[in-house]
Amino acid sequence: MAVVETTRAGGDTGRPDLALRAVTLGYLGLMVVLPLLALGVQSVTAGPNAFWRALSDPQAVHALKLTVVTALAMVAINVVMGTATAWVLVRYNFPGKGFMNALIDLPFAVPTVVTGLMLVLLYGPSSVLGTILGRYGLSVIYAQPGIVLALLFVSYPFVIRSVQPVLMELDRAEEEAAATMGASAWLTFRRVTLPTLLPAVLTGAALSFSRALGEFGSVIMVAGNQPMKTKTAPLYVFGEVESGNRLGAMVVSLVLLGISLGVLMLLNLYQRRGRPEHGD
Amino acid sequence: MRRRENAVAFVVAAFALGLATGCGSGADSGTDVIRLGAYSVVREAFHDRLIPDFQERWKAKTGRSVRFEESYNASGAQARAIASGFDADVAVLSHSGDMEILVQAGRVSAEWSANPLKGIVTNSVVVIGHRDGNPKAISDWSDLAKPGVGVLYPDPKTSGGARWNINAIYGAAFLKEKAAGGDTPDLEVVRDLMARVQANVVNMDASGRQSMATFSERGIGDAVVTYENEILLRKREGKPIAYVVPESTLLIESPAALVESSVERHKNREVAAEFLAFLESPEGQAMLADYGFRPVDPEQAAKVGFPRPAKLFTMADLGGWERVQDALYGPKGLWTSLFSGRGGK
Repeated sequence: MAVVETTRAGGDTGRPDLALRAVTLGYLGLMVVLPLLALGVQSVTAGPNAFWRALSDPQAVHALKLTVVTALAMVAINVVMGTATAWVLVRYNFPGKGFMNALIDLPFAVPTVVTGLMLVLLYGPSSVLGTILGRYGLSVIYAQPGIVLALLFVSYPFVIRSVQPVLMELDRAEEEAAATMGASAWLTFRRVTLPTLLPAVLTGAALSFSRALGEFGSVIMVAGNQPMKTKTAPLYVFGEVESGNRLGAMVVSLVLLGISLGVLMLLNLYQRRGRPEHGD
Repeated sequence: MRRRENAVAFVVAAFALGLATGCGSGADSGTDVIRLGAYSVVREAFHDRLIPDFQERWKAKTGRSVRFEESYNASGAQARAIASGFDADVAVLSHSGDMEILVQAGRVSAEWSANPLKGIVTNSVVVIGHRDGNPKAISDWSDLAKPGVGVLYPDPKTSGGARWNINAIYGAAFLKEKAAGGDTPDLEVVRDLMARVQANVVNMDASGRQSMATFSERGIGDAVVTYENEILLRKREGKPIAYVVPESTLLIESPAALVESSVERHKNREVAAEFLAFLESPEGQAMLADYGFRPVDPEQAAKVGFPRPAKLFTMADLGGWERVQDALYGPKGLWTSLFSGRGGK
């Protein structure tokens, strides 16, 4: 994703070309920018005071914090496990590899509510696993670990799918050279392979983070939905919409949007700076 | 701001209209159409029983068939949908607070409750469902506050049912304090009970129906606060849940009304009004009772044999919907205040 980008800057400026560009830009505007603009305008029109009051509501603040913290926990796990999974898929051959590869995208196809339900049945307080965990005083479902679990499931493919192609394209000569010079496997990975993979890892991390900020369907099933405890920002937004507090809902949505936009823009900036170093 | 909202609503409505006309729903001359906008709890009773029965009655009376377009949704969501343009002819909602949304939007006449049954078509009471054999010895609201009791009720932000539930817990404690303290009931005691019950809540589902599913299908929690008719419906479906009716509990009164703007436009006032009258008739009420709702007419209720709790109170006893909404769920409300303390118990 990070590496493959068009090289035909400029190109010919024939009529069809121009039309195509206008159409795609217009499409982006209609599908993405316009709805977001509507959200922005609606939440600002109430005035700075009302905006600030809605934003500083303790329940809103807590919901936003919880969302960011659980998303970060998910990203940390995803980065390590996703990179490892991509590594195994590219570097090793084993029976059932094709099947495993196909399995990875499945979380995208499962309706998120079903994901949540599945997790409740598997880890819920009355399930076998939940009972065992409960004996050690651990609760997963209707507690914060459940939120992280749901986020992990719905964002499973992101890191894997962005690291995998880069790893496949990777020139093994450098790694071999490092090994011949006596570097251990770990050192080779850390100093030679990882720097090349890093942009792809970060892309996967940023995409899964953004995805997690807005995740609703699975989280509402597993979180417990208790204010100041397990109510994430999307659940808060849902509650405020349903109880008629549209401003409160929009202000929190706007913050989520801002965080997401900020992360994606930072990523873009990093990729632009990082590219020449790796000589792509 | 209002104007901008209208503009947005207009675009959405225009789009929806385009879709609707695309599908083609032209009624032929021998068929009447009623669009029903109801809250989800009445779905079984309406869809399986009342509507088929009314269709036969209408056919026998006028020789015309009547087709229903049924929409069931959470009460608040349904009220907002109708208020912003969903052209239901008959609105059946969980509580009069939601009906007032329609009055304010100019959809329902302000006189909707000016009839013998005061606009109410179903009654029920707030009860506590518990596990078989009642292992946690639950018989009253205070038992929900005991340590180690897992409680379920939905989120009052999204569920009208949850408001009935929490209002019942609040009301029972409030009236008790009022009886003891006269003019100045000690709200701290009331708040304390609510806080301790809330601390025992395991999960707050989005709707009452989901809360019941969490309790019975997923086996979570020791007690579920719900409508009596929800439990009786389960019994009817062969999945009985044991329950207790607390000594002091709240009478649930759910209204129905004609949506004036819709019946004007669809020119089906006659059939829609007839359907509403059917809901209020002894026959309609008996069918509703069969699905677990208490008849609104006290005489008929006594005949059907629902036990009357010793201290049954109504929203009017607590000062009415508007006052309670504000006193509990407003920015400075009692329920809201449970979560504004540091750390949130």
